[in-house]
Amino acid sequence: MTSKNNRCLQGEIVEESVQFSLTELCRASGATEDQLKLWVAEGALEPQGEFELHSRATRTWVFSGSALRRAVIAHRLESELEVNPAGVALALDLLDQIEDLRRRR
Amino acid sequence: MYPSTGAVSKMKYKDYYKTMGLPRTATQAQIKAAHRKLARKYHPDLNKDPDAEEKFKDVAEAYEVLKDPEKRAAYDQLGEAPQGGEFRPPPGWEEHFSQGPGPSRGRGTYSSASEADFSDFLDELFRSQGAGSRGASSRAGSERPMAGQDQHAMIVIDLEDAFTGAQRTINLQVPVIDEQGRVAMQPRVLTVSIPKGIRAGQRLRLAGQGLPGYGGGPAGDLYLEIQWRDHSLYRVDDRDLSLELPVAPWEAALGATVTVPTPQGRVDLSIPSNSADGKRLRLKGRGLPAASPSAAAGDLYVVLKVVFPKANTDAAKAAYQALRDATRFDPRANFPG
Repeated sequence: MTSKNNRCLQGEIVEESVQFSLTELCRASGATEDQLKLWVAEGALEPQGEFELHSRATRTWVFSGSALRRAVIAHRLESELEVNPAGVALALDLLDQIEDLRRRR
Repeated sequence: MYPSTGAVSKMKYKDYYKTMGLPRTATQAQIKAAHRKLARKYHPDLNKDPDAEEKFKDVAEAYEVLKDPEKRAAYDQLGEAPQGGEFRPPPGWEEHFSQGPGPSRGRGTYSSASEADFSDFLDELFRSQGAGSRGASSRAGSERPMAGQDQHAMIVIDLEDAFTGAQRTINLQVPVIDEQGRVAMQPRVLTVSIPKGIRAGQRLRLAGQGLPGYGGGPAGDLYLEIQWRDHSLYRVDDRDLSLELPVAPWEAALGATVTVPTPQGRVDLSIPSNSADGKRLRLKGRGLPAASPSAAAGDLYVVLKVVFPKANTDAAKAAYQALRDATRFDPRANFPG
């Protein structure tokens, strides 16, 4: 890795064209797999389509790109404010509501 | 950046008790409660105020010291200095510290400078183990290949960038491990292509541009969270834009054709007669473009705001009086009694 790099980098828009497996979401968000599983069990995060909660099924989970934003916030709330999974789910829902209200203003 | 000796003679004193809103006699339980409360109040995910993140960091730094009785005692020994004043620590004060500064918060988001978040004041206070080693990785020198960490950063773009696509240069601070296994922050400059149709709140993934891997492992990815620079004219709601358009009373009443700005240039908009204040006119497809060809572009809503000329000349007064006499208009006709 060089400190200067003038090549123009092309990226992909996560919310439009990226999907994550459990392992990939774990890496991208910085949260552990156990944290992500707890958040899924609380409904704070939802894999796409029909999904099962038992441990063998977690390998088949696919998250949409927009799950990353939620997982990142959840991770910060847990590590910086020690919010438990139920609290994380509640906070994320309330943040969505605030965002809605802000838009309608 | 961290001179070896004598560097502590001059630095800004930070009053950690004041930051926490506590007296110097506060109990450990009070310190913890105050931290919880302030951390929630200023957490950047919960508080969108631009100053919130800075305050959150100040509170975290104060707590880092005050939560630990040993560090707190050493800090208390420095005594009270006037706010913002410079001070000279008592001789030998460094010997109070047998430990390093403890685990860093390792934020890793908003800015990548997670280990450099705390102030120089704190760095100097707990320099005994070398500030550069904070958050040092035990992975250095590990033989097993390991993927590098993903990094997150924020990038602020103009609304116009989403219409055309753009190139932006960003400056990152990335932790680099030197031969002694210490972490130092190094600047890194990247030029990034901003794709057409991207929106605030979305993230751009740059594969392989995160932290380097270890022992031949692949590099991590870099995620850039998009934010809009505030625009003086448009409000953004997802892909839709709205623009407040001031109109004169006669334009709203009689109808008019008005030239309005859009991000893609000026257009002529016809205002129907008898338009009320607050009426929304839609310019279909004039909002933010979609990122994929299959999706539709957003719309631009023009919201009419009727503004009145002042009755500050005889002619203007006469015109308002004539309007009153001609219309016999009662704006409160539907009030009871």
